[in-house]
Amino acid sequence: MTHEELEDAVPLYAAGALDRTERQALEAHLLSGCPSCHHALKEYQSLAALLPFGLVQSQPPRSLKARIMAARNPVTSAVQDGQKDPLKPSLEPGEWMNHLFPPITPARSFSLPWAIGFATVALVAVAAYVGWTFTSRLSDDAARMQQLEATLQEQTTKLVSLQRVISERERSLMELQGDASRRAHDIAELKEQLFQRETELESLERQLASRSAGGQRGRTPQDELAALLRQPSIRVVSLSGSEMAKSASGILLYDASTQKVWMYAVNLPECLNGTIYQLWAIDQKPKSIGTFHMDSGETAHLLVKRLPDFERAKKFAVSLEPPGGRPEPTGAVYLVSQS
Amino acid sequence: MIDPALLARIVKGDQQAFSQLYDQSSTLLHTLALRILGSREETEELLQDVYLEVWRKVSRYDIGRGTPVAWLITLTRSRAIDRLRARGARGQQATTSLEQSAAPQVRDSGPSPFETQADQELRLAVGSAITSLPAAQQQAIELAYYEGLSHMEIAARLNQPLGTVKTRIKLGMSKLRETLRHSWDQGDFE
Repeated sequence: MTHEELEDAVPLYAAGALDRTERQALEAHLLSGCPSCHHALKEYQSLAALLPFGLVQSQPPRSLKARIMAARNPVTSAVQDGQKDPLKPSLEPGEWMNHLFPPITPARSFSLPWAIGFATVALVAVAAYVGWTFTSRLSDDAARMQQLEATLQEQTTKLVSLQRVISERERSLMELQGDASRRAHDIAELKEQLFQRETELESLERQLASRSAGGQRGRTPQDELAALLRQPSIRVVSLSGSEMAKSASGILLYDASTQKVWMYAVNLPECLNGTIYQLWAIDQKPKSIGTFHMDSGETAHLLVKRLPDFERAKKFAVSLEPPGGRPEPTGAVYLVSQS
Repeated sequence: MIDPALLARIVKGDQQAFSQLYDQSSTLLHTLALRILGSREETEELLQDVYLEVWRKVSRYDIGRGTPVAWLITLTRSRAIDRLRARGARGQQATTSLEQSAAPQVRDSGPSPFETQADQELRLAVGSAITSLPAAQQQAIELAYYEGLSHMEIAARLNQPLGTVKTRIKLGMSKLRETLRHSWDQGDFE
């Protein structure tokens, strides 16, 4: 029976409703010293003893008291005892309680034959011997038990500390796992970024390759001029407007590495009726470098030509010539170099 | 209520104390025995046995086990149930039942001349607590307490499941305990 079942059986025990087996089970439990069941039983037994108060009272006949008082002599009692033996009750009232609450006053014996006295003395002596043997064995057992308990306690302490270490290791392992998982995630992200960058790089390389291939063919003069202006070894000659075009001006740049001359002219008048401007390099005599045309609304023009003997020229000039230009200057000069 | 000192005097062989004990308890014990046995003659025989046993064994009484009245009631009930069972074993019909036992009680009913006010109040409180129980719970407790039937015997008698009978007794006793707790908390029964 579980404790709950035993506890449930307490009110039934007090009411007298348990069968013998159940009664014995509960009594054994009570003797084991269960305080809650013990307390409950005391209350329920007090209650059970109250129940007859609820009955309608009935008085015994007056003669009964006289009979009882008369029957109290020892002889009658002995006769009564003899009669009672065959009817020995199965339920001695509160019998189990004797185990829980030993009577304060022990049962008296009015006459003890000397033989019983002697037997008692002998029994006490034997009991004392047995008790002494038993006690010494008990003390041995107790010492062994203490030793075992000490060992057990030691082992338990070790076990507890080991459990603590294991739990700490588990915790740090979990932290490491979490860290590793975060790092793996970072690595995956970085790989992804790297892959994207490689793709972009490939695409840029392709663009660069196609641009550099096209750049050789379609490079504009402006690009070359910009490169030219960054070179420290460039030669510069400025041109100013003549009486024909006072607001006009120009500049000549010469790159010895490529033997190219660059002329940039601004504010020259528009070329009319097919006329054309012609640039001259003048040493002993004028030599045509090239021609250019100024359209309506055009204010600036860039002319690029090869001129291997630039160093020999002393002066430069731009004149307006008839259509197609001339081997020597024939028209008015519009721009002329300063020195 | 009976003073435990009265029992201490009986232990020493005080006849007057024994007479006093009889006066203070006989109505209650007679009521109880008659309720169980249902027979006046048998009840008187039983009471004689019980009081003689008290006279001889009063030294066994220990106040730690309960009040003197509780001890006397437990003893009387126990002996009466034994007689009832012995009668059943001999093949005689039990004559007790709620209805049958009521008749002789009514005839002799009336307060005992030795009853105190505290006794009267207690009888009223217990009577009221018992009658306020559901009839089925009251019946199950009475079959166990006054007829000495186990819960299995009660279940068979009432043709009810065992669990139902157990629950009825448990609930009934529990309610009575709650209602009457003050009766022994006041020192009457503890």
